[in-house]
Amino acid sequence: MEDLDIRYTFVTDGSYLRQWLYQPDVLKWLPVSTEKEIDDAIQCWMGYCRYSCSLTATLHNVPCGIGTLFLMPYRKVAHQAIFKVVVDPKWQKKGIGEALIRNLKHLAKNYFRLDLIGIEIFEGNPILSLLKKQGFQEIYRQENYIKDGLKSLSRIYMEVEL
Amino acid sequence: MSIVIRPSIESDAALLSSWIIKPDVLRWFPMSDQREIDDSVRIWMGYTRFGASFTAEYDGKQAGMAVLYIQPYQKFSHQCLFAIIVSEEFRNLGIGEALIEHVVLVVRVQFNIEVHHLEVYEGNPAIHLYERLGFKEYGRHPRFIKDTGKYIGKILMQKEINHGRT
Repeated sequence: MEDLDIRYTFVTDGSYLRQWLYQPDVLKWLPVSTEKEIDDAIQCWMGYCRYSCSLTATLHNVPCGIGTLFLMPYRKVAHQAIFKVVVDPKWQKKGIGEALIRNLKHLAKNYFRLDLIGIEIFEGNPILSLLKKQGFQEIYRQENYIKDGLKSLSRIYMEVEL
Repeated sequence: MSIVIRPSIESDAALLSSWIIKPDVLRWFPMSDQREIDDSVRIWMGYTRFGASFTAEYDGKQAGMAVLYIQPYQKFSHQCLFAIIVSEEFRNLGIGEALIEHVVLVVRVQFNIEVHHLEVYEGNPAIHLYERLGFKEYGRHPRFIKDTGKYIGKILMQKEINHGRT
């Protein structure tokens, strides 16, 4: 995609993130489910912008995906970070998630000097194949971690060495 | 000699901080200095407002604490992470066991929790207590801690709470 650009996230990108999270096909892979939970999560997420650890993908200068390193607050665990990534549903499967993850890995390794980054996903999330392609490996899995209606799902922690 | 477990109160925070700062305790936590300890104690004590932090007293003296990190999201509300600490001077008196048994009762009755889980670092002698009380390892995160250049793994354990039993 020639017009795809990756830049640091602005706090104002949160309004795009909110729109994406409200889409059922995005929301089902995230821990949040109510309006209040979504608002709280976005506020926490956008709070990381100030550390320059969040990237926004844009197409024609319009945000189409956000990926963020949730840097650890304590020294003994500061060699690693968990990240989250969301792509606008109408632009999924076009390489935007892959570009965001590739750039997050670069940022984590070269700017923050991290050893590892990891991501927690729910069982069945189609991002799994992309993560494997980018070198992520499953570290652990906890069954029945998520309950969505009558359905129980596992959480899977995937990690890559940088 | 008696153990009494009560809800934590704000004034327990200073003691909690003084227990964590001891080197032989601190090595089993992710924090490493006073600023980080203050931050973690602030988060821990924040759960008192939900009735999710407990203090054990041994003969009237504060001897240990446990916290349930009650999940803020509905999809996770059936499970809960917890942490526990026993003051070094009150070790081997059954306080850790009493705190865990109390917490298991509370998660079942008060919070309707189905899965109770914890995180412990490799080599922590408390692992044997957790195993004895029915917690089972479900995973390991091998490079979770990096302390003076050395990696230490995190062991993840859980216990399913049987709501059918009284």
